[in-house]
Amino acid sequence: MGEKRKPRFLENRLGIMGNIVPWVLMIRDNPERVAFVLHRLTGLLLIIYLPVHIFVTSMTVNPQKWEDFLRLEENPLAQFFLWILFGSIVFHGLNGIRLLLVEGLGKGIGKPEPPEPPYKPTSLSSAQRKWLYAVFAIWLIVWIVGGIILFREFGWV
Amino acid sequence: MGINANGRPATRVVKIRVRRYDPETGRRWWQEYRVEAKKGTTVLDALLKIKAEQDHTLAMRYSCRMGACGSCGMLINKMPRLACETQLLELGTDTVTIEPLPNFPVLRDLITDFGDFFKKHRDIMPYIVRESKKENEEPYREYYMPPDELNKIIRYSYCIMCGLCYAACPVVAIDKKFLGPQALGQAYRWVTDVRDEGLRLRLEKVDDKHGVWRCHFAGSCSAACPKGVDPAQGIQLLRSKLVALTAGARRDKKPTHVATPTTVRYVDVGDAPKPTVEDKSLLVKHLEETAQELEQDLPYVAQALRDYLRTITSS
Repeated sequence: MGEKRKPRFLENRLGIMGNIVPWVLMIRDNPERVAFVLHRLTGLLLIIYLPVHIFVTSMTVNPQKWEDFLRLEENPLAQFFLWILFGSIVFHGLNGIRLLLVEGLGKGIGKPEPPEPPYKPTSLSSAQRKWLYAVFAIWLIVWIVGGIILFREFGWV
Repeated sequence: MGINANGRPATRVVKIRVRRYDPETGRRWWQEYRVEAKKGTTVLDALLKIKAEQDHTLAMRYSCRMGACGSCGMLINKMPRLACETQLLELGTDTVTIEPLPNFPVLRDLITDFGDFFKKHRDIMPYIVRESKKENEEPYREYYMPPDELNKIIRYSYCIMCGLCYAACPVVAIDKKFLGPQALGQAYRWVTDVRDEGLRLRLEKVDDKHGVWRCHFAGSCSAACPKGVDPAQGIQLLRSKLVALTAGARRDKKPTHVATPTTVRYVDVGDAPKPTVEDKSLLVKHLEETAQELEQDLPYVAQALRDYLRTITSS
């Protein structure tokens, strides 16, 4: 009789890094996953920004304090942060509309029909995929144009 | 090395990197093998070849080798796939990395533990639930349903429980209690089934923060599914059904075109086919002989045969 073995099983959950780091898991033909990660990250940023935003708007009570704050916002770094924030709001809003249609009302994902080889998933080739590309396109255009307007006064563009 | 008709070499040596794990020492390491691959060599073929010729300690799970059993799910080149349905040369890389499926506990090398996964599947009650207790406990006949109703659920019935969707899901990766795309997809399949009356019972499991509301439509489950089951679609449809129910859209259940053992048959599914042997005398003779043979060893079977004989001769 040998020594009793105690096997240890490995908890192999990918965790948050599996979502964010793209080379941990590479799913083919899946821009929805990119939208999922972006939606989470922008949502996180917005939820952090919301209390800050309420605090900032409360500054208008004191005109002197408000003027000081506006001077702070002339800092290029603050402007860059505002630009990131602007992009987050646009993406989160646009993708949110798509998600409401898809998740809440079950639109744009096709009908559950019998699958035919080569077994393409209906939900990933239906209308919601087009909406997703539209979200990406509108977001990038609005974000870049907004950036041009924002950074023009710094002479960056 | 032979040459194909198109001038390319018929075989190619492919480097295979396997992520190995030893549960006794807890050691985890990458090991490299070289395997000669030709057109049609699957990853599972290569692994079995390695096990037979190079390293017998390599452990993997497989059964049918034809994409029907769902045992050999692995992370091949960072994408969850069935090893038996993935061809080495079609991957198009000189080095092929093979890892155990993520989000499942690893038992050894490429073998993962599906206990939790199957438990979640059992949780949503993957069988027909009827309101009548008698029908649930003493079913004696099959249920009938029309073909167009079957077409609505057959996509989800193709699930082989290989766990690829569960490995691909970004929410399963961060939430241990999340039911996962497989169980939720199956929940939709049973809720939509016209023969089923267990909607309320299943909603108790599904209408939960670790249930249907945790899905955020990353769509990875459907992209990874080897059978075209499309769990992402099922989950969204299940959720929109829940939204409609919660919003008070309590449409009265349409009379389902389904015949149960205790109700009238609405659907004409036709009668049983006629016996192919027209001449009964041959069958009768054969049955009598068999019954006589079995009289000594298996008297009950012989008795059953005689009973059957009596029914066919009397009709």
